[in-house]
Amino acid sequence: MSNETLVSVENLGVRFAVKRGGGWGKASYLYAVDDVSFEIKRGETLAIVGESGSGKTTTALAVARLVEAYQGKVNLDGTDFLSLDDEASRLARAKMQFIFQDPYSSLNPRLRAEQIVREPLDSLSTMDEAEKKEIVDRLFAEVGLRPEQQRLFPHQFSGGQRQRIGIARALATQPDLIICDEAVSALDVAVQAQILNLLRKLQADLNLTYLFISHDLGVVQHMCDSIAVMYMGRVVEHGTRMDLFNNPLHPYTSALLSAVPSVDKARREATKRILIPGDPPDPVNLPAGCRFANRCPVAQDICRSQDPALRDVKGGHKVACHLVGEDAVSPL
Amino acid sequence: MEPLLKVENLRIELTTRAGVAPVIDNLSFELGAGESISFVGESGCGKSMTALSIMGLLPEKVGRIASGSITFNGEELTTASPKRLRDIRGNDISMIFQEPMTSLNPVYTVGEQIAEVIRAHQGLSRKAAWNQAVELLDAVRIPNAKGRVSDYPFQMSGGQRQRVMIAIALACEPKILIADEPTTALDVTVQAQIFDLLNDMKRQTGASIIMITHDMGAVAEMAERMIVMYAGRKAEEGPVEQIIEHPRHPYTRGLISCVPHIMSSISQERHALTEVPGIVPSLSDFGQNRCLFASRCNMVTQKCVDERPPEKPFANGQKAACWFAEEV
Amino acid sequence: MTDSPLIPKEEIPEARHPFAEAWEMFRRNHAAMVALVVLILIILAAIVGPYLYPVDPFDMVWAPFSPPGADGFLLGTDYLGRDLLAALIHGARVSIVIGLAAAVVSVVIGVTVGALAGFYRGWVEELLMRITEFFQVLPTLLFSMVIVALFGASLPMITFAIGVVSWTAVARITRSEFLRIRELEYVTASRASGAKNGKLMFRVILPNALPPIIVQAALMVGSAILFEAGLSFLGLTDPNVVSWGQVIGSNRQYILDASFTVTIPGLAIFVTVLCISLVGDGLNDALNPKLRQR
Repeated sequence: MSNETLVSVENLGVRFAVKRGGGWGKASYLYAVDDVSFEIKRGETLAIVGESGSGKTTTALAVARLVEAYQGKVNLDGTDFLSLDDEASRLARAKMQFIFQDPYSSLNPRLRAEQIVREPLDSLSTMDEAEKKEIVDRLFAEVGLRPEQQRLFPHQFSGGQRQRIGIARALATQPDLIICDEAVSALDVAVQAQILNLLRKLQADLNLTYLFISHDLGVVQHMCDSIAVMYMGRVVEHGTRMDLFNNPLHPYTSALLSAVPSVDKARREATKRILIPGDPPDPVNLPAGCRFANRCPVAQDICRSQDPALRDVKGGHKVACHLVGEDAVSPL
Repeated sequence: MEPLLKVENLRIELTTRAGVAPVIDNLSFELGAGESISFVGESGCGKSMTALSIMGLLPEKVGRIASGSITFNGEELTTASPKRLRDIRGNDISMIFQEPMTSLNPVYTVGEQIAEVIRAHQGLSRKAAWNQAVELLDAVRIPNAKGRVSDYPFQMSGGQRQRVMIAIALACEPKILIADEPTTALDVTVQAQIFDLLNDMKRQTGASIIMITHDMGAVAEMAERMIVMYAGRKAEEGPVEQIIEHPRHPYTRGLISCVPHIMSSISQERHALTEVPGIVPSLSDFGQNRCLFASRCNMVTQKCVDERPPEKPFANGQKAACWFAEEV
Repeated sequence: MTDSPLIPKEEIPEARHPFAEAWEMFRRNHAAMVALVVLILIILAAIVGPYLYPVDPFDMVWAPFSPPGADGFLLGTDYLGRDLLAALIHGARVSIVIGLAAAVVSVVIGVTVGALAGFYRGWVEELLMRITEFFQVLPTLLFSMVIVALFGASLPMITFAIGVVSWTAVARITRSEFLRIRELEYVTASRASGAKNGKLMFRVILPNALPPIIVQAALMVGSAILFEAGLSFLGLTDPNVVSWGQVIGSNRQYILDASFTVTIPGLAIFVTVLCISLVGDGLNDALNPKLRQR
């Protein structure tokens, strides 16, 4: 595995204007993604985890320029994708493809499977029909679909097969980066395993880089090389898979991990559940200090007054918490 | 002692365009007072249908109980009048659903909705019912219950709405609480809170819980006994610990090993997940005299295709419907 | 996994276009099927009728008010002794052509306005929807009467007048479908695959928005026929062509003496519009994916 950085996201920010109370009052902003930075090395997988409202999906959409970021850079192979003009960014999409969550709504019901997989080639390549056909044939084989299925329409496939079509579509332009937004969470567990294995096999075969968005920590643990944990639009902890699962530092990460039900009796007995009562704060009127302070079991005065920055505490393991010192020990 | 709920040889038929299919095919199980049991399986295996049949809420004209019996406290439910069933639904068996967004009426406050149930079932005055609604909201750990009781459902988060649903279900002090995927739509930290809440409620009220889920981890956390359903049939039944330790049906084994679980320590290397190939058969294939899992099973033999396997009991309480249960 | 002979390979179904399944659904709706057959007969009569029954509807062929069946005239004659059957056959052409053409006009205007508003949102939507509302609050009959009175009662002008007052419903439906569909993941997927706006609007979203638009267009044909009948009843019509409404209008003074001169063309309008409604209803059921799952 090379150590070359393929994607680096710098200070990405997405905000939505929200009007409260109607009238012509000044709009306030909801910062869905607030100053998010991360890097992904070629051939590796970065997972972004978080709960609903954490901004993980918006981050993925902003990286792919499917929602507009108001600040920040997405450097892909050396060029800032976000600063390109419309036509250039359209063409640059060949390098960055997306796999969606819902296998039912992500395929156009009026198109045949083969047309769906071809669509990126039709929009982005100058190949002739014969070349496109050859690529589609190869992709169908690669994702485990039979050639006879090319002429079928989406409603004639099962959920897992539809997700395979979505994967084939994402592979069509030979992208470097594939963003998987909750790509398996709508599938039944047995089918989920089939798709996860397929994604890992494709990654090994084609040296793909994944940005993997998920709320399922079990899946994330299985798929990723490094993880960023998001809470209320911020990355609160970022580290390798081993760092994060074996030595979680941010209290939110610990709470998240402890909440996952497990079939492993040893784990159930070893982990003490950390309950985080209450709800996240109002995203439009954020508190002055740490956004997790109102639910944090160990919050101090400093947490309520000062916003902690994400800082490197131990060989690349980053955390945004005042209470984690140089010794990289969880405050819990 | 007579079990609280006893289901015997239940067969439920669903009329579809393709014909009549047994969505529940010869299901028997028992539920004791204060016990918690989980139904597990992929979608389309008949888990929810079981719950609906106990509640007497099968889709009208489409689904019907073809044979078998459901006895609750010694009383037969399959032949009970709609009025009696309504009575039981209100007082003895309650249900909470997956989608807390749509199960509440958006035009009434949560307090009104809880109080209405209390008034219908306990015949209390408006004032007393309202006070009890506040108490219940407090019991399901909604902070500032007194203030939140006059909130409308849209003013609450998903987790809070599910708590309100639980409060409504508890308002009638049921003997059985059926929870159909109660946390699937919720975040994992909220799920943990709901599970804690349900476990506490069970301890305090002594109610039995039937939980329907697809998540083995949730089963391990919530239930004492589990029933694995496949294509309308019981594949395996037994104590949760034993089944997770050593499943006796290839389907159960697949369900457990195909999910990437977080273990007590994470190691650097990762193996490919065990796959259960294919998908659940369609309704039109239900009810055949063969093992319906055969088409996805790696241990399949001619025998599996020729005849439906009977249930084999094991000494530790496990039962598995597989010809080769001893070898799994 | 091992390839066991006991594990059957999954059968590949036949590739079936969603519209093929819709037709399957439609065929099972008896009322709609009967209505469709009747409609086809009416259209056939309009097309080939004049050749099979070559009587000029403006010729005075017999004494006035000859009742149906008498004297060899199947549907009788009107107050000027003109053959009612001939009027009905020729009138069918005009009524149906106006109905279809007006529906086309309103669909073209409505889809364009609705698609632009629903796709671009923002000030484009504001502007277009305000214009739509302006047309919606106009009294339709009065407005079309003004157009016809100002610009003359030729068939194209009547068609245009009807189309201009009835496109708003199509625009609103198209807009709401666009608003719904543009948020679906396959549209985002197309955008992520590098599709341009034109492609997104007309090749991705529009085909998926068609079902309710088709239903609305079908119903529009019916209401356009009624509208035309209304205008020609009031005499706002091309006097050189015969239409059903015009026959009713010209015979209306004799409704008590020879009611058949009014009821027969009235019945023709009633049956045609009813059939169109039933077909529209059938289309609605057939194209609604929620019902198809049953």
